[in-house]
Amino acid sequence: MADNIISKEEVKKIAELSNLDISGQEVKLSKILSDTLLHIENLNELDTSNIPVTYQVTGLTNVFQDSEGKSQTLTKEEAMSNAKENKDGLFGTKAVFDR
Amino acid sequence: MKKLNELTIIEAIEGLKKKEFSSVDLTKACLERIKESDNKVKAFVTICEEEALKSAKEADELIEKEGAIIFETKPLLGIPYACKDNYSTKGIKTTASSNVLKDYVPPFESTVTNKLKDAGAILLGKTNMDAFAHGSSTENSDFFKTKNPWDLNRVPGGSSGGSAVAVSCDMCLFATGSETAGSIRGPASWCGITGLKPTYGRVSRYGVVAMASSTDSPGSLTKTVEDSAYVLRIIAGKDPLDATSSPKEVKDYLSESKTFSLKGLKIGRPKSYFEIELEDGVKQKVEEAIQKLKNLGAEIIDMDLINPKYSIGVYTILQRSEVSSNLARLDGIRYGDDRTNFGFEAKKRIMLGTYALSSGYYDAYYEKAQKVRTLIIDDFNKALENVDIIVAPSMPCIALKLGESEKSSMFGELMDVLAEPSSVAGLPGISIPCGLSDDMPVGLQFIGNHFEEDKIIGISKVFQEETDFHKSKPKI
Repeated sequence: MADNIISKEEVKKIAELSNLDISGQEVKLSKILSDTLLHIENLNELDTSNIPVTYQVTGLTNVFQDSEGKSQTLTKEEAMSNAKENKDGLFGTKAVFDR
Repeated sequence: MKKLNELTIIEAIEGLKKKEFSSVDLTKACLERIKESDNKVKAFVTICEEEALKSAKEADELIEKEGAIIFETKPLLGIPYACKDNYSTKGIKTTASSNVLKDYVPPFESTVTNKLKDAGAILLGKTNMDAFAHGSSTENSDFFKTKNPWDLNRVPGGSSGGSAVAVSCDMCLFATGSETAGSIRGPASWCGITGLKPTYGRVSRYGVVAMASSTDSPGSLTKTVEDSAYVLRIIAGKDPLDATSSPKEVKDYLSESKTFSLKGLKIGRPKSYFEIELEDGVKQKVEEAIQKLKNLGAEIIDMDLINPKYSIGVYTILQRSEVSSNLARLDGIRYGDDRTNFGFEAKKRIMLGTYALSSGYYDAYYEKAQKVRTLIIDDFNKALENVDIIVAPSMPCIALKLGESEKSSMFGELMDVLAEPSSVAGLPGISIPCGLSDDMPVGLQFIGNHFEEDKIIGISKVFQEETDFHKSKPKI
């Protein structure tokens, strides 16, 4: 059987980039992700050499917020209301620097 | 005579105007129905009994004070509805049926629920879905599986499965859903109700937990197409909080549908949509429906469209890429629990998306998919120069047995093959019941051009006037 398109090692790398814990599921994910990529390979049957990409389907361009418009914002209390850790009115995060 | 919870929106409004019953009566009837059958089908994640009854009482007071004229400014006054649990509702838990957001209480309201609230609608509760809308069976909810009321051993479809079941079982008068590709049309088809996915940008996405932002389309699940026309007018429109919402004028879909005629109407029947693996019963019911449309004066034109199998690839890449980007915000710091709480389906999608967007792979996957997307759009544009509406089955088969979705890692993408082309092109689509196969509902789909919801509503209205399929109810 041919190797999976995405190897177990690549799966670990992608998990790290995605900030996900997948320990124990590397082999399963290597197979599933590879199968999915295999399934969509049929896109290569279509010639798209002179075809532009489409990001916005209804043709809207340069949509700006009306500066006179009603602004909407949350109060500090509302913004903090779902925080797991609220330290002196600030979000508590994991430490970034070593002390 | 119909029970109050069995009424359509239009019927209930007539009754409220004539004071044949009150909003409290209507709301109580729905809540009783929920108590009686939700333990079997498990459609709801949260039920807001107290708030609903309070709002219903206020609605009754307003009707008493202002009279029937109040419905001109509050067109859904006193009408109880169910809301898919990915619409942010201020002060009411909004989980997207995920463990990550299981305790999340939004400090703001989505535009759609805000508009419904302004129109006077009564929120009964929040409905179950595939977690983060990842799936087409509602089996991917992190909490519990919702069952199809027509056969409790089958899935309702998804991701708006809870909403479809709530409507199908008359637990509410209507429900909100959202569709990225098939999440409204699919469960509507499998539960035997009407599901409308509007044009991308017709209805604001603001406050709806994002799945794939370039195709996410909020919409409705209703008992009749008249009701979906009525609701669309209320929820549609430009929203400054969603830059992709369209400034195009919102039509009076219900009034316009009343004069819609099939005489001279050109309906395209895409050959490729009927050449994929379709269940015989589904094919038969849809062909019978097409014959009916022909008998009513429409011209049926066999046409070519790019095989929908290519849309599976386009949709899979776009959706997983956008999912990986949208779910990156969930860090467990500002709201929600941390990323260890993601289910396997979400992890799988985030990871493929991360890979497809990576430097070195972007051109081969994301950019390629966006180019094929252009091909699909051009193909539709060409086709819709010659026909007014496209007809197809909504789903390739009737509702599957519980557990079937686990057999394929691309279950949702494969099941939604007939919705994906129009979804990636941003076109509106509707699914309406067209009969039963093996005692399970079959859905008939109409697809229209951008912002031509009036046409697909019009043809569906004529079909429902001439048939009784939408009146069949599950025995539960």
